[in-house]
Amino acid sequence: MPISEGNPGAHVPLAPAVFVTGKGGVGKTTVAAGLALAAAQADGESVYVEFGDGAGGRRVLRNRPGGLEHITLDPSRAVVKAATPVFGSARLAKLALDNFAMRPLIRAAPAIRELGVLELARQVVAEHPGKRVVFDMPATGHSVAWLKVARQGRELTGRGPIHDVCARLEDELVSPGRASVVVVTLPERLVLFETLALCDTVEKEVGLLVDRLVVNRVPQAPSAAALADAAALSNTPGRVGEAAAKLAELLSVRTTLREQVMEALNETVHRHGEGKGVEKGLTLLPMSGKDPTAATVADWLRNAGAA
Amino acid sequence: MSRPEVIVCSGGGGVGKTTVSAALALALAKNGYRALIVSIDPARRLADAMGVELGTKARELSLDAGRGQLFALMPDPHNALRTFIEMLFEEEPASVERLLKNRLYLALEAAVPGIHEVVAMSLTWRAIVDYDIDVVVIDTAPSRNAVDFIGYPKRLAKLLGGRAVGWMAAIGKRTSISPEDDRMGRVEGLLVRALGPVARDVAGLFSEMARVRERFIMLNEHTSELLLHPDTRYFLVASLTVAARDDVHYLFRKLSALELVPRALIINSEFVPKRNWIDVLENSDEMTTAIREVIAALDEEDTIRKRAAQRTTAVFSRRYPNVLQLSLPFIEVVEPRNIVHALSDYFDIPALLAR
Repeated sequence: MPISEGNPGAHVPLAPAVFVTGKGGVGKTTVAAGLALAAAQADGESVYVEFGDGAGGRRVLRNRPGGLEHITLDPSRAVVKAATPVFGSARLAKLALDNFAMRPLIRAAPAIRELGVLELARQVVAEHPGKRVVFDMPATGHSVAWLKVARQGRELTGRGPIHDVCARLEDELVSPGRASVVVVTLPERLVLFETLALCDTVEKEVGLLVDRLVVNRVPQAPSAAALADAAALSNTPGRVGEAAAKLAELLSVRTTLREQVMEALNETVHRHGEGKGVEKGLTLLPMSGKDPTAATVADWLRNAGAA
Repeated sequence: MSRPEVIVCSGGGGVGKTTVSAALALALAKNGYRALIVSIDPARRLADAMGVELGTKARELSLDAGRGQLFALMPDPHNALRTFIEMLFEEEPASVERLLKNRLYLALEAAVPGIHEVVAMSLTWRAIVDYDIDVVVIDTAPSRNAVDFIGYPKRLAKLLGGRAVGWMAAIGKRTSISPEDDRMGRVEGLLVRALGPVARDVAGLFSEMARVRERFIMLNEHTSELLLHPDTRYFLVASLTVAARDDVHYLFRKLSALELVPRALIINSEFVPKRNWIDVLENSDEMTTAIREVIAALDEEDTIRKRAAQRTTAVFSRRYPNVLQLSLPFIEVVEPRNIVHALSDYFDIPALLAR
């Protein structure tokens, strides 16, 4: 089936926790905020979680409705906070982790910080029962490492307190039904190939399902009638003919770019993604002249049956 | 060898940073330089379009570089940790073998932030020497965290040079690792208890690292020489979105805190090159309805872009009055390499390289 407008209504429902991921610059923040906003509009309440200074969420969630809670998590404080139960008390956790030797280790070593952040994420979901919690994840490589850390930590440690933290994360957060993954991508062939590889990793190595594949900024087809008229007019001699040729050239470039996009979607998502389930969660969002706000994206997602 | 000019292009995602960096490097080559473009997070599409393969070696590009020469280096992030281990333990193959079997190493293989950057900078250093490069353009990863890697090697060096390494390595040398062992201090005991059986792998990794401290410090110096040198020029790339502008503010703050104040703001897709043909069509008698509609839509696009451009340049001029601004056009063509060529004509190289 060639792709035209996605499959309105055919989407599986999202789990309570939603992890939104994708390469840098694909529009993760607006899609994540759009999903949280759509959930708040439908259910009255939802939570949007981001990591860092909170500027991204504030930007796209202008005029945020009361039911939408915006939480910012600070990864640099995550470790000691999340480790408190492991060591029995905040004082012991600080003693073991916040010292001359461990501070540089935690600052430089991966996985430890990821585990802390994931544990904070679990706590946020546990503190908001019955609400949709949408996580605006860091860019690709990082976010997969992040989601994998629970399973890896459990397998790596075998037993002990870190093992128990990881096992609880797997049971309560990183499991199908508890969490959905939404992957955001752009309609370019090689980006799409990388995205499918990411979907594969999420399903095989993380053990979660990619419930939505959102293709952002899909260019609109230019008017075929205008292209035909401009091409016809370009045969007239003189300045008008030359000008019409310029217009025809611009429109045909746009037509070609749009065709390349649709061809790439068909080829990658349908041929290579077949049987991987990403096809049924496919959602196309249009290219727009301006930065879309979360409200606009929420409308698009709702109309596509993807909210 | 004299130190080459080093330019680092940074910016948020989706602003066309890789294309702009490639165009800048091409413009430098056209001005007679032997230029090298290094992509930390290579965009496959661009790499393919320019005929570059991802790998550890730089190669000359097939673009028409006029008087100069243009080389590209696009290290593959997926092999970073392995390349790093091989660089560190060049003279100790037995350690490489042991490390590649370490469970912790296997778990971390795909996930070590910063390592790829350290590797990329060392490969860059080698390319500069091998090809006698006189200007390098470094295209960082498209994320706010990209600037974190500038300080990362220092953090890693601090870790390796600090007490943690000797401490963990000593734990690794013991025959038994158990929290009940009373030769272990209280903090060690807590740590071993938290880590569980994996404590031995952690300690093993540290004792290997302790052996190559000096070599690591050398690799680290390449990174510092390229990225932390006071002559290194940081350029921030933006597009006309609010997100891109916020990323510029964030990166400007971060870089200024490191005393690496950005020297230029490059605004990509800031304007559409003048379309005189629109006026000709509008004044002719042969307009059809379809053409009229499409021209109205183009005018509307243009109005939106102009408004966003005015806001962006005004914000930048107010906040960064002493920083050079450079506007690049929005180019609509099918081939990515043609975009690189078209953009390369818009760089004022003498102004960008002025002291």
